[in-house]
Amino acid sequence: LSIPSTQFDLRTYWTTLIEEINQNLNEAIPVQYPDIIYEAMRYSVLAKGAKRAPPVMCVAACELFGCHRRAAFPTACALEMVHAASLIHDDLPSMDDDPSRRGQPSNHTIFGVDMAILAGDALFPLGFQHIVSHTPPDLVPEPRLLRVVAEIARAVGSTGMAAGQFLDLEGGYETVEFVQEKKFGEMGECSAVCGGLLAGAGDEEIQRLRRYGRAVGVLYQVVNDVLKEKMKREKGDEMKKKEKSYVGVFGVDRALEVAEDLRAKAKRELDGFEKYGESVVPLYSFVDYAADRGFSVGDQ
Amino acid sequence: DEIQNETPATFDFKAYMLQKGNSVNQALDQSVSLKEPQKVHEAMRYSLLAGGKRVRPVLCIAACELVGGDESKAMPAACGVEMIHTMSLIHDDLPCMDNDDLRRGKPTNHKVFGEDVAVLAGDALLALAFEHIASATVGVAPARIIRAIGELARSIGSEGLVAGQVVDIGSTGLSDVGLEQLEFIHVHKTAALLEGSVVLGAILGGGADEEVEKLRKFARCIGLLFQVVDDILDVTMSSQELGKTAGKDLVADKVTYPKLLGVQKSRELAEQLNKEAKDQLSGFDPEKAAPLIALANYIAYRQN
Repeated sequence: LSIPSTQFDLRTYWTTLIEEINQNLNEAIPVQYPDIIYEAMRYSVLAKGAKRAPPVMCVAACELFGCHRRAAFPTACALEMVHAASLIHDDLPSMDDDPSRRGQPSNHTIFGVDMAILAGDALFPLGFQHIVSHTPPDLVPEPRLLRVVAEIARAVGSTGMAAGQFLDLEGGYETVEFVQEKKFGEMGECSAVCGGLLAGAGDEEIQRLRRYGRAVGVLYQVVNDVLKEKMKREKGDEMKKKEKSYVGVFGVDRALEVAEDLRAKAKRELDGFEKYGESVVPLYSFVDYAADRGFSVGDQ
Repeated sequence: DEIQNETPATFDFKAYMLQKGNSVNQALDQSVSLKEPQKVHEAMRYSLLAGGKRVRPVLCIAACELVGGDESKAMPAACGVEMIHTMSLIHDDLPCMDNDDLRRGKPTNHKVFGEDVAVLAGDALLALAFEHIASATVGVAPARIIRAIGELARSIGSEGLVAGQVVDIGSTGLSDVGLEQLEFIHVHKTAALLEGSVVLGAILGGGADEEVEKLRKFARCIGLLFQVVDDILDVTMSSQELGKTAGKDLVADKVTYPKLLGVQKSRELAEQLNKEAKDQLSGFDPEKAAPLIALANYIAYRQN
């Protein structure tokens, strides 16, 4: 299925949403006593250059079913909060020991390991709190909200992102697929599913969004790794340590094949939403963006 | 007034705690199965099933039953508050925080599983608490479950538990910490989750708004009471008696009630808080309020 690029402008769609989401996030974390913890939370959640892909996907999935985007905003913000929490913890010295994130020093580098742990511990519940206190009750019935909370908790929990992080640290290279799916696919999956749940999508549609979101999440990361590797080669420094990524384990060519498979898979899932007509277009454009990076968002 | 607030002679607190504790332990055991990756789930179970006193879950269930709800309505929330409590202990014990080797008489989580797994097991327990409440609570109107989730989230985040830990960390080693700041620490670090436990039980049990608010006040008092007693025990008991490192507040140069008020005045404060707590229950059926009164007494007079 091919979409004429003139009909839908993902960049405008995305940047408009980023602005609104950033504003909501800014208001959701006002600084109060004890200031330091709010500053630590804001530092990571409001980091410049954040692409807000999970929230935008959540909104797009919600709009697919004709539901107003206002229904999705609180959940969209919550996705950023729990995502930030999990990245802050992933970067810790006892984990990936990463000194930087999104082009700035990582949270513990600035606020210390203790505050970084607590900032994560505070952002997880803030996400749930934000959903239940800000979602317009006239747009989303409570049972749907309960499923959204459970879905997000599952995604970040012991069989989701926490599992991915654990195997990234302690698993063998044979776990690369699992690690990629959990560390990077889970957030995409959860974002698309939450959008569908908020809009009251049926079970089969939710399953479709699940597979779609997961494929896009992994695709995005695979392409990232390929681009990073190519940049390194141009600069002449080959990847030194073997990373638990498709590029790191199988090399660039194989990774590009994986990316093509994922792109096809994600689009196949969307073909099942044909009956919703034009409103599925943003979700298609996400797939191409993840694969081709035709423009840049968030980090200009 | 005093007599009216006494626990009815017929109430067997020990048997009550044993019976509720068993139900809670069984529910907790079932709430975390040994899935893949095994090590993360082992770490979660190691701390969650380490045989804590289950004060928070029992408070949750007792509050639910006091307002007329069945135990089953509060059980997922009861498990949830224990998961959160466990998670905060795991993270609190980490080398970058309190650096504790011993908890509930056993090596701390990171000592057994490593720091990385301890952080992840804590995060996973936090998430599971919300997932469990959202998906396993049955027989309660969704609006009430939503309200309970909001209450729990607020009580453990930057306006609750985390705020207490942040101020606690910031005041360690300082000589000019006043009573007000000490109270802030404990109201947030300890009382907030106890309050959450009771309020969740009351909401899920179908309590009217004024009942929920009375129980909230009750919980605030016993939350502070809990910490005052904890501080007293830290200076008066041995590590063996406590099952955790004794005197660690002194070693860490932390401000405590005995340090600010002296042991005697701290004991008086405990008495006063216990009475204030029980006053909140005077409007309820004394028979039904007996477990909460006994729990307040237990918190006030416990030896570890």
